[in-house]
Amino acid sequence: MKREPKFIILMFSIILGVTISFQLKNKLDVYAPATLVSMQETKAEIEVINSEIEELKKVEKDYEQKLEKLEILSKKNNNAGEVIQSMKKDIEKHKILSGNLTLEGPGIIISLYDNMEDRSEDLGYDINNDVIHDVDILNIINDLRVAGAEAVSINNQRVLSESEVFCNGPSISINKRRTGTPFIIKAIGDPKLLSAAVNAPGTYGDGLKNGLGKGLDTTVEDNLIIESYNKTLSYRYAKPRGEGD
Amino acid sequence: MFFALIGILIGVVIGFLLPFTYNTAYSLYISVAILACLDSVFGGVRATLENKFDLVIFISGFFGNSIIAAFLAYLGDRLGVPLYYAAIFTFGNRLFENFGKIRRSLITSKKNKNQTEELDR
Repeated sequence: MKREPKFIILMFSIILGVTISFQLKNKLDVYAPATLVSMQETKAEIEVINSEIEELKKVEKDYEQKLEKLEILSKKNNNAGEVIQSMKKDIEKHKILSGNLTLEGPGIIISLYDNMEDRSEDLGYDINNDVIHDVDILNIINDLRVAGAEAVSINNQRVLSESEVFCNGPSISINKRRTGTPFIIKAIGDPKLLSAAVNAPGTYGDGLKNGLGKGLDTTVEDNLIIESYNKTLSYRYAKPRGEGD
Repeated sequence: MFFALIGILIGVVIGFLLPFTYNTAYSLYISVAILACLDSVFGGVRATLENKFDLVIFISGFFGNSIIAAFLAYLGDRLGVPLYYAAIFTFGNRLFENFGKIRRSLITSKKNKNQTEELDR
């Protein structure tokens, strides 16, 4: 019986070991001490936030300057013309941003049309491979925007943030107006970048033209005119939150 | 002393082989309970070395201490006071105390043996 306590302690330490290993199995990194990597990560985060703060301070300064200007203008009551002029400038700026102004500038014209070849006797022929779809247009518009397009229109319908590109049988509706092929996409921006975004090997446009054989022609224009958005924008659900600016 | 360590090792191996896991939300309570169990086992080792081992005291201490420690941690979570610190401090303290006594008794017993051997010569 002299060995009894040792045996009991052995048994209980086995129980203890089982619980310890259960605890080890649940990998707890919550209590992990700060490693060099995590410190560097937080450092980088702090730097990013600091740079953001600086940018915001710059924005604040801009607004303060604007406010000063407006205050000076309001003090000069006698020449109200200056106030009106600065307001007119503001209106123009906002019209450009909202798409309510016809714009001109260098850019490219892309015409998209269906594959005209008669391939109906080919094996595995599918007409969907020959038709321009809404997805094709959406992808090309997105590529153009990536390349820095400032204004885009499809068949003279200005494409804004609310504009839809919706497949409607053989036609496509843009800004709730139906149009058919050929789709003329105009984009103002750096012509080199824009045409590269559509024609460079590996882009979506290149795949359409050389992969599927659909029609895609691009022409570079020095002075392109893009019509304004012909409807008034109105929001039914979205409301400005807080004061904003 | 060594059978306790061997037992812990065996237990760890068994625990890793067993497929059970529990919710990570309980890990704080379990870790405090582990501390209490560790303290009890060391206390038991010390008692055996001092020839004062009592089965009932050992078992009640093993389970009672761990349950109280886990309960304290739970209560602390509910109340918003980190009460498990109390368990960590007392059991940590006692762990070192027990270990110190085990060490001393082991060393003294070795010395005694050496002395008796010398006397035998």
